[in-house]
Amino acid sequence: MNPPGLSFEQAPPFSVPLRFFLTAPWFLVSAALLMLWQGPELFASRWLPATLALTHLLTLGFMAQVMLGAVLQILPVVVGVVVPRPRLTAMLIHVPLTLGALALASAFLCGIPVWFQSALGLLGLGFSVALVAINRALWRAPVVNDTVIALRCALGALLVTVGLGLLLGGYFGWGLPLPVVAMTDLHAAWGLVGWTVLLVAGVAYQVVPMFQITPPYPHRLSRGFAPLMAALLAVWSVLALSDWETAARLAGLALAVGVALFALTTLSLLTRRRRKIGDPTLGYWRTGMASLLAGALLWLSALLIPALAQAPQVEWLLGILLIFGFAVAVINGMLYKIVPFLAWFHLQAQLLRRAKVPNMKQLLPEVRIRRQWWAYLAALLLLLAAAVAPAVFTYPAALALGVAGIGLGVNLSSVWRIYRQVIANP
Amino acid sequence: MSVPEIVVDGRGLEPPEPMERVVAALDVLQPGQRIRFLIHRQPYPLYDLLNRYHYRYETTPLAEGGFAILIFQP
Repeated sequence: MNPPGLSFEQAPPFSVPLRFFLTAPWFLVSAALLMLWQGPELFASRWLPATLALTHLLTLGFMAQVMLGAVLQILPVVVGVVVPRPRLTAMLIHVPLTLGALALASAFLCGIPVWFQSALGLLGLGFSVALVAINRALWRAPVVNDTVIALRCALGALLVTVGLGLLLGGYFGWGLPLPVVAMTDLHAAWGLVGWTVLLVAGVAYQVVPMFQITPPYPHRLSRGFAPLMAALLAVWSVLALSDWETAARLAGLALAVGVALFALTTLSLLTRRRRKIGDPTLGYWRTGMASLLAGALLWLSALLIPALAQAPQVEWLLGILLIFGFAVAVINGMLYKIVPFLAWFHLQAQLLRRAKVPNMKQLLPEVRIRRQWWAYLAALLLLLAAAVAPAVFTYPAALALGVAGIGLGVNLSSVWRIYRQVIANP
Repeated sequence: MSVPEIVVDGRGLEPPEPMERVVAALDVLQPGQRIRFLIHRQPYPLYDLLNRYHYRYETTPLAEGGFAILIFQP
């Protein structure tokens, strides 16, 4: 009688994803503190140790943290496979990832090899557990839909990203002789275009039509986008490493066009929402997709106009658009859907007919989401401005980033607090 | 005398509002009464909740798209 597909029956305990979600916002705050400490000089080059520390606080501490927590949550629901021993698995990913992100940021800041070595060990452990647990589940999936295909591609890209990252860590920690510049570009591309864009795409196929009440993604895009992008990334990497410049540039152009197409499709779906009442998380999706589109176009321009690629501001703008404008926005918006819903669902599952459960808007009032949204938007615009005029905008950008991070952290913790109160006194 | 069914139309509402409305209807459901829940997509999390509390339900696709789910007391 029960139809196959999404089911919460195998959903992991609330604490499994929540530990990731409650930690992540404080990495935005630590990134803000680092900016305040380092000041405008941070923006001199993307290669400065402090810049690399800042990048990894955001990508590992915030992005990877939430993304892995969310994958552990959605695997049983979307794919129908249980991750074995979910609490232990979550702990073995969460603790090393959190400590590893802090250790890596410290390693860049102090430059001492032993810090890189410890960061490498911690991150290697956390990501290995995550990759093994998630891959086992994904390849056993009883339901293979477009989301599962995109998740598999994203996971493959994460494997490449982590592999390259560990090798680069070997360069800093043990002095491995490596083509560091080329490998760093590959590491960033696989992490942002592979792992991040493909994971967001796989999740968007489900959640954009569901939460924003839009038509579904065109089937051809949702089926073909992730495998095509993963293949293009692989081709581009080989060409880039073998110094076939023109061919590598062509592959890069194709990648940028692919990313732009996904962003445009999502933006156009969002204009066709059946629900006309404004949703507080719509802004995060629109900003995320507009940033992704702007990033893709900037990347295209840099490929077509080599002089542009030389300007350090372009690399900064690209990084800010993709990391903070796209990934952080989409993740931030999604957290506001996931955390109150999971709290409500777990309360309902435990207390149905025994006690009244607060609804979603009582768990997290919209006004609090909107307040944090303005802080986020201010931070994005000020960060972009700081890339062009660091002397003026670095400190305001850092402050806005800190406020946005604190706002998110406080909002999510408040849901957890209400959840515990209701459980304790139903 | 038969009690009229409770109709919950969740079509076009943003999740989990449809589910919140059904759960509210479950609270006032009388013995012998049923809920007719109209929704634009399969409400999988709701099925889980219904299974957990042993409600019976029947899903039929609607001609105009979406589904009608009849929910009965355990």
